[in-house]
Amino acid sequence: MAEGVPDFSSEIRPILAENCFHCHGPDEQARKAKLRLDTFQGATTSGDLGGAITPGNAGESELVHRIFTEDADELMPPPSSKRKLTSQQKQLLKDWIASGAKYEDHWAWLTPTRPDVPVVRSAEKVSTPIDAFVLRRLEENNLDFSPPTTADILLRRLSLDLIGLPPTPDELDQFERHYREDRIAAVEAAADRLLASPHFGERWARPWLDLARYADSNGFQADQLRPSWAFRDWVIRALNANMPYDQFTIEQLAGDLLPDSSLEQKIATGFHRTVTCNVEAGVSPEGNRVNQVVDRVNTTGTVWLGVTLECAQCHDHKYDPFTMTDYYGIFDFFNHTPLEVQLPSNKTDVSHDFIGPYLDLPLTPEQQQLAKDLDSQISILQQNRETALKAQEEDYLAWERLSSESAARQGSWEVLQIAGFTSTGGENHEILKDGSVLLSGTVPKTTTYTVETTTTLSRIAQLKLEALANPGLPGRGPGRGDKQRPNFVLKEFTAALRKDGSDLPVRLHQPRASFSQRSWDVAGLIDGKPATGWAINPQFGKSHWAVFDLVKPIDIKRAGTTTLVFTLPQDWGQGRVIGNLRLSARSEASKDPSLPANLLAVLETPSGKRSKDQKKKLRDHFEKSNPSLKKIDDGIARLKKQRDAIKPSQSLVMIEMKERRKTHILKRGNFLNPDAQVTANTPALLPGMKNKASGNRLDLARWLVRNDNPLTARVAVNRWWAELFSNGIVATLEDFGTQSEPPTHPDLLDWLAVELVESGWDMKHLLKIIVLSNAYQQSSRITAVHAEKDPRNLLLSRAPRFRMDAERLRDNALAISGLLSSRMFGKPVMPYQPPGLWRQTGRNEPKWEEQKDENRWRRGIYIVYRRAAPYPSMVNFDAPDRAACTVRRARTNTPSQALTMLNDPAYVEMALALSDRILIESESPNARIPYAFRLTVARQPSPREVTIVNKLLTDRLSYFKDNPGSAEQLLSNPQFVYKPGHSSKIELAAWFFVANALLNLDETITRN
Amino acid sequence: MISSIPEHTRRLFLQRTGYGLGAAALTSLMNQDAARAASGPLNKLGLHHAPRAKRVIYIHLVGSPSHLDLFDLKPELQKRTGQLCPDEFFDLTKLAFIREQPTLLGTPKDDKYAFRNCGQSGLPLSNLLPHLQGVADELCLLKTLHTDQFNHAPAQMFALTGFERFGRPSIGSWVSYGLGSENKNLPGFVVLITGTVLGAGNSAFGSGFLPTIHQGVEFRSKGDPVLYLSNPKGVSDAERKQVVDTIKELNQVALDDVSDPEIATRISQYEMAYRMQTSVPELMDIQGEPNRIHEMYGTQPGKTSFANNCLLARRLVERGVRFVQLFDQGWDHHGSVFNNLPNKTRQVDKPIAALIRDLRERGLLEDTLVIWNAEFGRTPMAQGGRDVKKAGRDHHKDAYTVWMAGGGTRPGHTYGETDELGYNIARDPVHVHDFNATILHLLGMDHEQLTFRYQGRQFRLTDVHGRVVQDVIG
Repeated sequence: MAEGVPDFSSEIRPILAENCFHCHGPDEQARKAKLRLDTFQGATTSGDLGGAITPGNAGESELVHRIFTEDADELMPPPSSKRKLTSQQKQLLKDWIASGAKYEDHWAWLTPTRPDVPVVRSAEKVSTPIDAFVLRRLEENNLDFSPPTTADILLRRLSLDLIGLPPTPDELDQFERHYREDRIAAVEAAADRLLASPHFGERWARPWLDLARYADSNGFQADQLRPSWAFRDWVIRALNANMPYDQFTIEQLAGDLLPDSSLEQKIATGFHRTVTCNVEAGVSPEGNRVNQVVDRVNTTGTVWLGVTLECAQCHDHKYDPFTMTDYYGIFDFFNHTPLEVQLPSNKTDVSHDFIGPYLDLPLTPEQQQLAKDLDSQISILQQNRETALKAQEEDYLAWERLSSESAARQGSWEVLQIAGFTSTGGENHEILKDGSVLLSGTVPKTTTYTVETTTTLSRIAQLKLEALANPGLPGRGPGRGDKQRPNFVLKEFTAALRKDGSDLPVRLHQPRASFSQRSWDVAGLIDGKPATGWAINPQFGKSHWAVFDLVKPIDIKRAGTTTLVFTLPQDWGQGRVIGNLRLSARSEASKDPSLPANLLAVLETPSGKRSKDQKKKLRDHFEKSNPSLKKIDDGIARLKKQRDAIKPSQSLVMIEMKERRKTHILKRGNFLNPDAQVTANTPALLPGMKNKASGNRLDLARWLVRNDNPLTARVAVNRWWAELFSNGIVATLEDFGTQSEPPTHPDLLDWLAVELVESGWDMKHLLKIIVLSNAYQQSSRITAVHAEKDPRNLLLSRAPRFRMDAERLRDNALAISGLLSSRMFGKPVMPYQPPGLWRQTGRNEPKWEEQKDENRWRRGIYIVYRRAAPYPSMVNFDAPDRAACTVRRARTNTPSQALTMLNDPAYVEMALALSDRILIESESPNARIPYAFRLTVARQPSPREVTIVNKLLTDRLSYFKDNPGSAEQLLSNPQFVYKPGHSSKIELAAWFFVANALLNLDETITRN
Repeated sequence: MISSIPEHTRRLFLQRTGYGLGAAALTSLMNQDAARAASGPLNKLGLHHAPRAKRVIYIHLVGSPSHLDLFDLKPELQKRTGQLCPDEFFDLTKLAFIREQPTLLGTPKDDKYAFRNCGQSGLPLSNLLPHLQGVADELCLLKTLHTDQFNHAPAQMFALTGFERFGRPSIGSWVSYGLGSENKNLPGFVVLITGTVLGAGNSAFGSGFLPTIHQGVEFRSKGDPVLYLSNPKGVSDAERKQVVDTIKELNQVALDDVSDPEIATRISQYEMAYRMQTSVPELMDIQGEPNRIHEMYGTQPGKTSFANNCLLARRLVERGVRFVQLFDQGWDHHGSVFNNLPNKTRQVDKPIAALIRDLRERGLLEDTLVIWNAEFGRTPMAQGGRDVKKAGRDHHKDAYTVWMAGGGTRPGHTYGETDELGYNIARDPVHVHDFNATILHLLGMDHEQLTFRYQGRQFRLTDVHGRVVQDVIG
């Protein structure tokens, strides 16, 4: 760079981007005066004046005039924008134009090449190429590496960084010995051991699951739980297996589309099923789906490309050259998966049904064994049943014969002739050929039908009322209201015999019906209560009947016609009245009124003519009423229920629909407002796809991990770097666009990115070469020189010190206290949390059930993640709600953190266990304090520290000796599940306070 | 506070702390945000212009009350009750539950539901709010709020974070970020909830991408008011003090050794935590309030109630908490609105009126902004048929009423007007972004300049929208 010439990327573009691109940038819609300043061509030729910049001639450049003018109407940026250039910025722009206005492509859009490793003055301080890059920047600023940290701190750093757990005292002893003999070999051996540990995946899954916005619930109103944990386990396993990052990418984005994809590859696609899902009733299922696709596009952009594509959802990107066409081109890759919610099956429900695709996981070995046991028990009972059946075959035949004879005697139904029909609702009526009455005309709110009928039967023992379906009725009836709900509500049914001009009531009993609506049982028709009655929701559109026996059958002595009068009051309103009714009678009532209605019909069929199905119905009924068979059947039913309850766990996965949707640009991002159609494509700015024949997710995934993609490798190594050094080389981990922070060590970033690609996307290799560097192994002590020359540690003049993330902090304390469970994988766990935090509205409300076993001490990654109420002690340490992709967590330092560490019963229990562990494992009483420090912060205490701790300890000891009851009370906390092994309650209680204090030290929760 | 800090550590410490973050923000922000956040979005006074309000009590009625029956009486709607609604009202894309063309539903005409012109201003308010009628001259009604969302969770997020999906800071967090806290022993943004948690969950008071120190801290009326506030069972206050002192001494040793200002911050946070163990229970204990106050609010010590939360809100702002948010569940009256609404107004009317009076008596009302808001309004059409007793109202996003009181708003004033049926806005619409811009304005902040840089751009509460409603400012 020539002396005095401003650098475009680091000095000029940030000024233009912040102050000019909003109106003169890539977004064509928002562009003012048709002028764009984000490209050389635009700046020199576009706009009403044909360019605002004359390269090499500041005086003739409109831009220079406009930024220096004092005329408020001409000034740029306009005062109304509330943006203002400083005089230094104005001068920079002027100098840059004077020097030729050279534009450069943004570094991140260009594929990295491996830079030369720089030559540094102190070559002896370089143990890996990384050191050379870091040291060169330090030397440029007259700084140097800090001295190496001590072996104990280094091993703690390596352990916490690579597996998220502290080293054990044994591991520390061994490492220190090895380190003294051969520093380089010791570090490498430790790194290899830790990288091969199964806990590696548990630690590195955490940041990945933040990116994947993995949670165990839907989010939004009801926030029900859903099964996704198999995906969490997949991530842990893939990281442990060191699956190459390109494969890791492909399986998660498109594992289902790989040829002959395995179960595991399908589970991997859970990555994009973790997105939130709104089942609130008013939500449009399509709107919900579009929101989910938007989230998938944005998350993919952030995770792999480190760009904020979402800006281009509603308009062309203001700063980066992404257009809406680019956005919806990526959208199309994700636009072909099924809807995930639908309108509720029950219309009155307040939530949609969740219908997104699930995958069944194989049964666990325990489940398989249980299923086998149950199957054999069921088959034994079935044999018993056969034996019992044979023994009672004769009984059955006798019962069948008797019942059939009785039914045959009943005779057939005879339709009662309509002699007169009146109604109070003003309807019209007509008598049909089948002897029924059809109502029409006015649909009344209330009405009472009075039906006068005649018959020539000589005996009447049973009456039947039919409400018939009829094509002339709305929704085929049988009610007259509306098409959706053609119900009727009949309040009473009374019959009277007309004799000598007066009507004598006929008493009815044994009511039964083809179907009764819940709370509207047919019995209500003859109970004399006007509030009860008979209705048939939801069995609309078909005929229904009700049958009653006469308490005293009517015998007609003399021949001729008999008149029966019926009244049918109906006052529900909304047209809930019968539209077509018919009345019948017959001469014999059923012998066995307990027989269900459908069985009576079967028995009336002559035995020779019964179908197979009818025969089975009879047999089933008989068997059900046989006590010994019933017992066996109940046993079988119970076992079968248990057997059916053995269901495979499930996991949410992506599947591709056979038919592709058409993808449109959505105006202002609104799914109800489609614009031009687009097809799957990658952003024009980046190297294009070689083969986009199918345009599916697999093509996109393969494109993302192409070796010449300028972003994917850089974005990944930068995140890993930030996990180890607190800051990324690019500070804005989530944004590599033109608005991003310039990299502190651009060539180092490129070197690492190329190394990643050329190593076959080997993540563990990358981590290993980083931790073997001297840069990594420095002390974290801050000196006056650091404060002066590198206050934010951007030059890496020391190792960073930072408070650990929520999960690591808890895992670390569990490990220190000796409580940590090493169990891996499986369903989410519920350790202690304060009561009352899971209260929500909506159906299927999940409950928090605190686990009192080993599960309460599992690693934080296995704790259930409910979006509306994530685990509270982790929230206090900046764990996100996982509703959206999180690239980096905040790292705050708050009083609630202090309260959590001091008082959360989970940490209080850890203090108890740590107290017990110190007392049991220390070699001698004098070794206790040093051992306690060794456990919590890996190092030996200074004499001053011993004095401080000893003061607390002796005070407590003497207090509890005088007050043994207090010790008892402290240890009898009902929230403790852990049972201490040490025998002295006084010592346990005193050391409890020491343990509580040590777990709270800044150093304990800090990776230093 | 901290006994000894090497000079260079002190300098680092000060670089990380600064204007705009308030005293509570002894927090380390990361990377470039640290530098920017430390220099602060605001000028030296911490403000863009002279503030009218210094603190906010923001009442959100979760589920959304029927504003038509409380604040915006429509005689024409009453007249046409039972008639089918105009065809253009029946738009399934704008209705959550109604599926058949509904009938119009006016406020019942009997005295229980009638409106009365109140106070000097003559502001008409429903008889369902007899106590609020008594302070009508303090209220400033905005009858023309409108929003973009008509499902609860997205609409709550939209109203409270300016964005319908997860991930953005809530208005209380923005205010805490902009103004900081006035009390070292209490958080700047406190949340009080009656009923279940609302659909948007913690996101309704979350800090999004702002540092979590600005998130709303829920004070509970059952169990610990703040999670993990009380000492473990069997630990006395003297023992706790000794443990905290030991931690401090050991942290001080580390600070002397490694000079990391973060340790100094942690020492002060432990001290604040220890103070909170006294100050928060003291704050939450309303036993000592005079009887007159209990009678005025209708409070009962030890109970969980909206009334208790109103009194706590006063105690919180008295102690310098910037933003107190009250959520009250149970206003989603899809059925039997004329039965359910009075049940709910009975719970909130008296305590809210008492809160306004109490603030006024203490001279706090003039610079405390009290807000009544909901995620949307309710339809002038009936849901659930023609039976007025059973009818409810569906969600309505195109016009609803909210009010503000105190904090420099124009008292006894009404802004905006809806059409004769209360379905659309007739004049002076106020979008959710406009409302939020106005709240920030009253607090002395320009909504276009209260920004936070994230993912390469400056984010605001009002996105790229928002207009201050000058007419409601007194």
